[in-house]
Amino acid sequence: MKYRWILVSLLTIVLLLAACASGEQPQNTPTGGDADVLEPELTPVHLPLGYIPNVQFAPLYVAVAKGYFAEAGFDVTFDYRAETDGVALVGQGELPFSVASGEQVLLARAQGVPVVYVLAWFHDFPVGIAAKTDSGIETPQDLVGKKIGLPGLFGASYIGLRAFLSANGLSESDVVIDSIGYNQVEALSADQEDAVVVYVTNEPIQLEALGYPVVVFPVGDSMQLTANGLISSETMIAENPDAVRAFVQAFLHGIADTIADPEEAYQISYDFVENLDQADKDIQMQVLEKSIELWTADVPGYSEPQAWENMLQVLMEMELLTKPLPVEEAFTNQFVE
Amino acid sequence: MESQKQKTLQSKIKVSGVALLPFTLALTIFLWYLIVWVGDLQPFILPTPHLVWERFVRALADGSLWQHFLYTLWEVLAGLVLGSLVATATGYLLAKSRPLERLLSPYIVASQSVPVVAIAPLLVIWFGPGMFSKVLTCALIVFFPILINTVVGIRSVPEDLYGLMRSLQANRSQVFWLLEMPAALPVLLGGLRIGATLAVIGAVVGEFVGSDRGLGFLINVGRGQYDIALVFVAVFTLVFMALVLYGVVVFLERWLLSWQRRDEDSKKLGV
Repeated sequence: MKYRWILVSLLTIVLLLAACASGEQPQNTPTGGDADVLEPELTPVHLPLGYIPNVQFAPLYVAVAKGYFAEAGFDVTFDYRAETDGVALVGQGELPFSVASGEQVLLARAQGVPVVYVLAWFHDFPVGIAAKTDSGIETPQDLVGKKIGLPGLFGASYIGLRAFLSANGLSESDVVIDSIGYNQVEALSADQEDAVVVYVTNEPIQLEALGYPVVVFPVGDSMQLTANGLISSETMIAENPDAVRAFVQAFLHGIADTIADPEEAYQISYDFVENLDQADKDIQMQVLEKSIELWTADVPGYSEPQAWENMLQVLMEMELLTKPLPVEEAFTNQFVE
Repeated sequence: MESQKQKTLQSKIKVSGVALLPFTLALTIFLWYLIVWVGDLQPFILPTPHLVWERFVRALADGSLWQHFLYTLWEVLAGLVLGSLVATATGYLLAKSRPLERLLSPYIVASQSVPVVAIAPLLVIWFGPGMFSKVLTCALIVFFPILINTVVGIRSVPEDLYGLMRSLQANRSQVFWLLEMPAALPVLLGGLRIGATLAVIGAVVGEFVGSDRGLGFLINVGRGQYDIALVFVAVFTLVFMALVLYGVVVFLERWLLSWQRRDEDSKKLGV
């Protein structure tokens, strides 16, 4: 009798799992499937941003607040989960779009994740190496034998550091690398590290505000690498190119408005970033203005093929990729041209 | 007669438990395959068991898994020893001194509500990115259960036995080694059992925050490279480590407390 109950319970669990799995259909279309019956006005889109709410996401906030996404047929809500999770969910077809960095696209594609980069948001790699101005570090060569702190031996920071060292004729063995977590500001200000790997739009501004002037070597000055942008899936692009174009254009509209009027974008960000009104506006505006420098380009949203080739080379050198990938399949400019 | 029946029943339960183990394992693997199949999940979302097995064999063959395993194991063992020593000493003092307990208890209890994951980044800042900050994270996480068990263990020593030791003119050291320690040992080892598994969590939290070695680092690498099979390999290795540590403490418990079982058997036999 008891065993029969166990059997029934197991069967129920299996059926529930099957029901859950088949119930979650990928939301790839703005007006697909049941949409014809329900006729929703807008397609809900959860957009993973890969970081906490921040003024650096102002173009997206602007695109929502000014109704650009709504005009394109989307009801966008932001999701601040990890970048890799967003990439995987887009690849699985669970989400139509995500914000991700270029190296993530190549790493993901190497594992069979069918994601494609459809809009270059940052036109320069946002990572850099920062040292105190009184440290005596004035050129990249001065870093030889120095301790460099970075969050860990993974992600954009590590890739940026390796690209920077390689572009300046150095290797990992020329410096001492410490994995210090996201403690770059504390580690540099307390002289625990001679230099730290930073996001040029963030930590250098914080360090300056704390009274520690720093010299920054942006990785982008040494090597052009593909940076943060918008990704979608191969299926979405093949089946709903109009939806992808509409989304990309709405995003580009938000970027253009933010560049044209940073003050307005900052005010709009109040509704999206908790406690922004309590933050030091000077610092936050500097973060926004520094970010705008990286977003500005002759053709906004356009991906430079050379930046992808460079990224591929770096990942191969680091042995994060063991065989070359056809990079032209990893991105497309068809929606921004 | 009754006791014989009970023993037979117990051994039957033990045998059926062991026999069920392969069955439950096979069922788990079957359910895992079923979830992947029904959900049409790609390997970067949920790899199948055989992909995880293949990745395990590869990581073992290239030596990386063993190297990261050893690093985490050292952190766990060092943290466990450090945490246990400090917790046992503090617990003993608290058990022996009510005023001290009243003074320190609120702080010790309050400290337990602070999530280790929030403290770990600070430890990296204060003590550097090396192994020591991870050892401290382990020590912090095992501290509380061992401390509480030490206090309970020492307080559980019957007062009349103290009287007996006094009548035998035992000194402080003899009371500690011959009475308090053996009497508190069962409860203390219970705390160590919990601590052994918690220490593994502590090490991983520390490695997540900032490390270039260890199984926590391997999980970060796996996630960063969409190699979810590697994440599973690291997670299962951590589970294995926790189980082995737990087993070692249980073995230690049986060995150190064999006198207790002998006593119980003697009582049952009416000797």
